[in-house]
Order: sequence, then structure tokens, then C-alpha cells
Amino acid sequence: MTAKLFRRPETGAVAAFLLTYIFFAVFTYSNGFVSWNGTVGWMNLAAELGLVAIPVALLMIAGEFDLSIGSTVGMASMVLAIGTSHFGAPIWPMIALALAAGVVVGLVNGIVVVRTGLPSFIVTLATNFIVIGGTMGVARLLTNVTSMSIATSPSARAVFAGRWEQANASIVWWLAAALIGTWVLGRTVFGNWIYATGGNLTAARGAGVPVERVKVLLFMATGFAAALVGIIQGIQWNSGNATYGMGYVFQAPIVVVIGGVLLGGGYGTVGGVVVATALFGVISTGIFYTGWSTDWIQLFLGALLGAAVLANSYVRKFAMSGGR
Amino acid sequence: MRPIDRYRKSLKKGLAIGALALAAALPQAARAQDGPIIVVSGPLSWPFFAAVKQGFDDGAEAFGLDYQYVAVTETANMTSDYPRLLQQAISRNPKMLLVGNFFPDGMDPLIKEATAKGIPVLTHNSGQNLWQGNGSLGFVGEDPYQMGWKAGEIQAEAGVKLGLCFNQVPGNPTVEARCTGYVDAMEKAGAETIYQTIGTGDATNPQAMAQAISGTLRANAGIDGIYTLNAVPAMSALRAVEDNGRAGEVMIGTADLSNEVLMAIKDGKIAFAMDQQPYLQGFMSMQIANQYLNYGMHPIGAVTTGPLVIDATNVDRTLEVNKEHPGIRGAS
Repeated sequence: MTAKLFRRPETGAVAAFLLTYIFFAVFTYSNGFVSWNGTVGWMNLAAELGLVAIPVALLMIAGEFDLSIGSTVGMASMVLAIGTSHFGAPIWPMIALALAAGVVVGLVNGIVVVRTGLPSFIVTLATNFIVIGGTMGVARLLTNVTSMSIATSPSARAVFAGRWEQANASIVWWLAAALIGTWVLGRTVFGNWIYATGGNLTAARGAGVPVERVKVLLFMATGFAAALVGIIQGIQWNSGNATYGMGYVFQAPIVVVIGGVLLGGGYGTVGGVVVATALFGVISTGIFYTGWSTDWIQLFLGALLGAAVLANSYVRKFAMSGGR
Repeated sequence: MRPIDRYRKSLKKGLAIGALALAAALPQAARAQDGPIIVVSGPLSWPFFAAVKQGFDDGAEAFGLDYQYVAVTETANMTSDYPRLLQQAISRNPKMLLVGNFFPDGMDPLIKEATAKGIPVLTHNSGQNLWQGNGSLGFVGEDPYQMGWKAGEIQAEAGVKLGLCFNQVPGNPTVEARCTGYVDAMEKAGAETIYQTIGTGDATNPQAMAQAISGTLRANAGIDGIYTLNAVPAMSALRAVEDNGRAGEVMIGTADLSNEVLMAIKDGKIAFAMDQQPYLQGFMSMQIANQYLNYGMHPIGAVTTGPLVIDATNVDRTLEVNKEHPGIRGAS
């Protein structure tokens, strides 16, 4: 029983989450961190990151990286801004266009990676620069600015940036993505293909798994999710900005690794990543409720990442040895 | 003496003469600044510098000048990237160098080097107190410390007792100077301050900034004034204040502007924004360059472009300009 529990990829993340949450709950109880508003506060932060971290997790389980998510978020928000404010287009077609643009970025990433065999870490890092540079170039050419207002509609606002008290619609999107991701990974043939592709590419190919198609589809999913986050941020703040999402470039892989996904691929769960994203939200927000110096926030995250990777590698060795 | 030795000897002689000739020619080359006008300024991803560049562009067009704009595209390592860019610009022997002295530790010695070589340099945006020391013709722009000071004065006069300065880009000396000015002015007036930063990964994440300010408001219930250093965190601060049920009790002021900030000023939700008129920094630099290159004239001392305080009294006109000429105010 214990051995079985230890073998779960998300064990480390759950333990870290509980410890951290209890820590902040004790220290910031009087400031309302555990209150309803405090809770939806850190969830609002986690939801936007989590929405993009889930497809990134699937992609990393399949053995690939995507660092272009950062600039895709900014690009999607600028598509809305330029379309609605500069050209006066209605918001919904622009939302569709922004999502399509995100999918195209993913498609290009996927095709380049499978055709050239270059490491996706480098390919998508290049794409990240190309997309933000392209976004800024086009925006300056058309409108002379790199951030501008978005003219939205009540329906779009409700769907992407609606609020129930202080809880954002993004939390619902995040949970939906978690359910879909869990179902795909655990209950479908495609999910098995993802594990096989990341676990042993040659064996998977030999067994008839369409590894190229798996990878390209997952890249398209991360592009789609990044564009969705850009739309959520853009509508929420009423403004597009080419630099939105830049922090996700490394925050997403961080929470994926803390969540128990192996950097080499082939191993991990969506549940672990969701818990790790929540943990990230708790740390990022909780530290401000303490009133302490925030200079330490990155040190905290770095230490946690190191501990999580060590714990995960230990858990995996333990699992491989049959729990002895 | 073998032929090969003779050959070697003459080769050595030839090389020595060649080196001498080259050494003699070098100062000549350095003196003839036949290169272009080079502008080393801020990243265009910031709406602020997009407006600075617009000023440079319009100035260049007005005076019929050609110039090249040099900036980083990636803002993570600006402290080390900018000296490198400046070094490259100097090595091209420009006719004139228009520089934002953003990181004086690395850039100021290079500016001294350029002026010693005889390249005319004019600084803009950052380094107001350094231009006399490094041999520049002058400075166009505004001291970030003074900008923060002005914000602190306004809030202290309005009766703010505990002010929060929220810095979304820790480690950038120019931006930090605004907070230093704010803190000094508030303390001089007898008010207290809190200085708060955020992790570098969240510098462009409005949600993370809103939650950070929200938490800070919870941890320090006495906060009744917030000063942010950019338009994006200003809107995050407004959301945090409203979420905490403190709307109307916390005075929000910010450096720089955006359409959203201007609308919030119009609605009375944000007290003021400070415009250092980036467009003028570019345009006037170009104007001074033109007059110096053609007639050898230039203004004596610093040309001050800000802060122009935008509040309820003049926000309408600013919004109008923003609609008619997007990008000129450094926001849209």
C-alpha cells in the first residue's frame, strides 16, 4: 500500500503542497490568506498558468519542450487589440483568429521538430523570439504601439473574464483543462501513445505508434492553450500587450517538473501538475500576505524545484526497484 | 644567409612597416566620423520607448536626417547587453551618438571613451546627473528620482500616511530610483512607506501583480497610498484595492500612462499618472543633433521633459490625443 502510494508521480507535489499551504495558513491566517477571497486570489493566479501548464505537461511526457508559449500569450492578446481597436472588428471572430494563430505557431513548432530532429528546447526558444518580435513588428507597423486597448463585448467578457464574487472564469477553464487532460492521458489510446512516445521512441515507432503525429498534435495543443490564456488576460485587463506571458516560458516547465513529470519524458500525470500549479500559486501569493521581504520569493521557488526533482528521482528509483 | 632567411627578414620588415602605417592611419580614421547617427535607446517592447522612437523618427524626418535605432529585444540581461550595444555603436565611428545612459556602471565609461575620441554624444532619458562628467553636450529627459519625488509630494500633500511603492522590475536602477524618490519625499513629509518588489518572472503578468498587491494590502491594512512604476501594475493595483473593499480609501498614482489608466483617472479611480513625455525625448534629441551637426549649436544644460502630471484637470485632452495620434503619448 505504502509502496504503491510512493510510486505515484504526484506524491511529491501533494506533500509539498500540504506542507507549504499549512505553513502559509499558520503565518498569514490573520491576514485572510485562508479566507474565501484569499483562496480564490491564489487560484486566479494559478489558473492562468495551469491552463498552459497542462498541455505543456502532456508534451513533456511525450519527450518534448515548448518554450514558445510565452510570446504566444502576448501575440493572442495583441490580435484581439489590433483587430477590435484598430480595425473595429467584432470580438468573437478575433478570438477565433487568435486561437487559430496559436495553433499555427504550435503546428510550425511541431513540423520543424519532427522534420529536423533538432531539440525542441532550441527550436521553440527560437520560435519564442520570432513570435514576440513578429508581434511587435506588425503592431508597430499597423498601429505604432506595442500595447493597446481591447474593445470587448459583454458575452466575451462573461466567458473569458467573468467574475463570481472575486473568482475569475479562468478557474473554470483550468479545471476543465485538468479534466480533459486527465481523461486524454488515462482513458484514451492517444494517452497511451503519449506515454509510449516519451518513454521509448524507437519501440513506440516499432509498435506502430504515429509518434510524429502525436508530437505535432501536442505542440498544437500548447499553442492553443497559450492563445486561450492570452485571450483571458487581454479581455480581463482590457488591453493587449506583446509582453504578456513571458514569465510562463520557465514557470510552466517548473510546475510540470514539480508535478512529477520526468524531464526525459514517459512518466507523469496531469493531477500532479495541477497540484504543483496550485503550490506555485500559494507560494507566489502567500509570500505577500506575510508582509516579509519579497526578495526571497525566487530563492523559495528555486529550492522547491530542486527538492521536487530530487524527490521525484528518488520516488522513481523506488518504483523501478519494485518498492524494496 | 639562406634565401628563406632573407625572405623572412624582408617579410618581418614589411610587416613592421605595414603595422606602422596602420598605426598612423588609425587616429585619422577615428577622427573622421563618417558613420551614421546612431541612437542607443530602450526596448521597443515597452510602449514608452515606442513613443521615444516615434519622436526620433519624426525628428529625423523633419530635419532630413538618417539614423539607426539600436536596442535590446530581450530584456533579461539589459545591464550587460547595453554596454555591449554601446561599444558596438562607438566602434562604427558615428557622426553623432544619442544615448540613453540606462546603466551608468557599464555605460558611462564608454560614453567618456566616445567623447574623448571626439564623437559628439547627447544623452537622453537616463543619466541626468552624469552628462557633464562624461563629456556629453547635454541631456534630454527627466530624472526618475525627481519623478518619484513628485509622486511622493503629491500623495503626502493629499494626506497619505502609509504609502506603498510597488516595483515590478527589481534590479533596474532607473526604475528603482523612482521608488527611492517617492520614499524620500514621503518620509520628508513625515509619512511612512513600504517598498515591495515581485519575482522577475511576473514583471509582465498583471494577475500576479494584482494578487501581490492584494496580499500586501492584507498584510498592511494601514496602506492608504500606492505608487506604481508603469501603467500595467497601476491597473493591477486598482483591481487589488477594489477586491479588498478599499475603493476610494487608497490613493493610486503611477508613472507612465495607458488608455486604461487615463480612463480610470477620468472616472476618479486613479488620482494621477506622470508623463515624462517620451516623444519629446526623441524629437528634441534629434533636433539638437541637427543643429549641432549643421551649425555647432546646442542648448546649455539639461532639457527637462517631465514629469507632466496628468490628473482630472487635463486627462480629457490627453485621451483625445491618444485617439488621434496613437503612440505619441507612449500609451494607447
